[in-house]
Amino acid sequence: MTYLSELFASRELFYNLTMRDVKGKYRRTVLGQLWSLINPLATMLVYTLVFSFIFRARPSVGDPSGLDIYPLWLMTGLLPWLFFTRVVTGGMSSVIGNAGLIKKVYFPRMHLPFSVAGSVGYTWAIEMGVLVVALTVFGGMPLIWVPVAVLFMVLLALFALGLAMLLAIGNVYFRDLQHFTSIALQMWMYLTPIIYPLHLVEDQAEVHGQWILDVYRLNPMERFVSVFRELLYDNRWPDLGDSLVCVAWTVAMFTIGFLVFKRSEKRLAELL
Amino acid sequence: MSEAAVVVDDVSKKFRLYKEKNDSLKTAFMRGRRSVHEDFWALKDVSFEVPEGSTFGLVGRNGSGKSTLLKCLAKILYPNSGSISSRGKVASLLEVGSGFHPELSGRENVYLNGSILGMSRKDVDKKFDEIVDFSGVRKFIDQPVKNYSSGMYVRLGFSVAINVDPDVLVVDEILAVGDAAFQAKCKEKFAEFRRAGKTVILVTHSMGNIRDMCDHAAWLDNGSLVQVGDAQSVMKAYTADIDKGDR
Repeated sequence: MTYLSELFASRELFYNLTMRDVKGKYRRTVLGQLWSLINPLATMLVYTLVFSFIFRARPSVGDPSGLDIYPLWLMTGLLPWLFFTRVVTGGMSSVIGNAGLIKKVYFPRMHLPFSVAGSVGYTWAIEMGVLVVALTVFGGMPLIWVPVAVLFMVLLALFALGLAMLLAIGNVYFRDLQHFTSIALQMWMYLTPIIYPLHLVEDQAEVHGQWILDVYRLNPMERFVSVFRELLYDNRWPDLGDSLVCVAWTVAMFTIGFLVFKRSEKRLAELL
Repeated sequence: MSEAAVVVDDVSKKFRLYKEKNDSLKTAFMRGRRSVHEDFWALKDVSFEVPEGSTFGLVGRNGSGKSTLLKCLAKILYPNSGSISSRGKVASLLEVGSGFHPELSGRENVYLNGSILGMSRKDVDKKFDEIVDFSGVRKFIDQPVKNYSSGMYVRLGFSVAINVDPDVLVVDEILAVGDAAFQAKCKEKFAEFRRAGKTVILVTHSMGNIRDMCDHAAWLDNGSLVQVGDAQSVMKAYTADIDKGDR
């Protein structure tokens, strides 16, 4: 309990480290924070061109919102995914990246991955805000679902943090891990229905066997993406099963990451 | 003797010297889980007390374990056995300007660095003018610190650290910071610290510093404590030993 209270007592450090990243990132750029919007917009254009125009991916029409716009459908899944990967890769390298600090000053080290989630989350919140505005402009009703969506954003943040803390410690022992993780994350993205709809996988499962879908749906990110789509694109309550799976994964992953990090924290200065 | 501010009780610290370390997955698989190492005891059963309000010097040759002990005091390293207990807030000054972000202004970095060292926003607000005046970089406080000269950078870092206002301050050889005028200011600050009844523990190789500033000292050699007591007698024994070694 004392560990948690110390972490809470130093919450100003969390805030300051977060703002260090937020402010430092776009210093001396003409467009500043706008860059954080230009990035996902560029990705959206490319994916829309390739997967909607060329590959003809056709997601089902938003029910009950009636939306049928691929770029918006894409972004409701892609923005959470991008947040997830940035927290995992950033949080994972935060310990090694701040080795100088860890060796010279005492402070609760957990603030390093936490502040990555904080600064990436700050950008994500802006992106999601813009997305909600766009969805509203094109005829959706996402506004009333925003509070529930925020709840799931927090869950996803904790899930990503748990994984990031676990990998951050692993990375101290085996530096190979960060290269491995970037490959794994790429494959993971294509194994999640972000740029193509889930029903394409269901079609294949009907032909080749139900097990394909069962294995496919073990992926927790599939559940998170579905929940965000249902809330913001379809504008309805997310599937209860999906929501519970999200909560379970979050609790498990965060607990494991937290405990592993806490156990190794004291030895970090020696290991780095 | 007054009450102890810090009690170092039977502290030992072991490092592993790896001959062949499994730091990549490949080597881990090739060799199984075994990695070859040798234990090196940087500190062996060190015990002493630092009286409250004293300025306590740690002396010894290079590699005698001073810095390891200091890092244990600063809670950066944790001893393998024994314990260190202290009364009040402990702050450490092992490096100045830790965590400065080059693109942020001096002002922003003061707040950032202050919170890394354990100050609240309110503390920094209260002390901000004092910090800036002490560092002597007021004119440039809103410039990004990457444009600072190395002297300005270090002086600002030092000014934040010295204003953390702990009960026990742990200092590694950083008294060589800045020009002569700034060093004089630092010494004055340490004297002020002492007058306020605060405890300072410092490592230095400068005999002059120990003589001027410390009233107690401990002498470490090869990880073991050789002598502890008032600064004069410890220094006498230590210098005698060095002279003997030189001959």
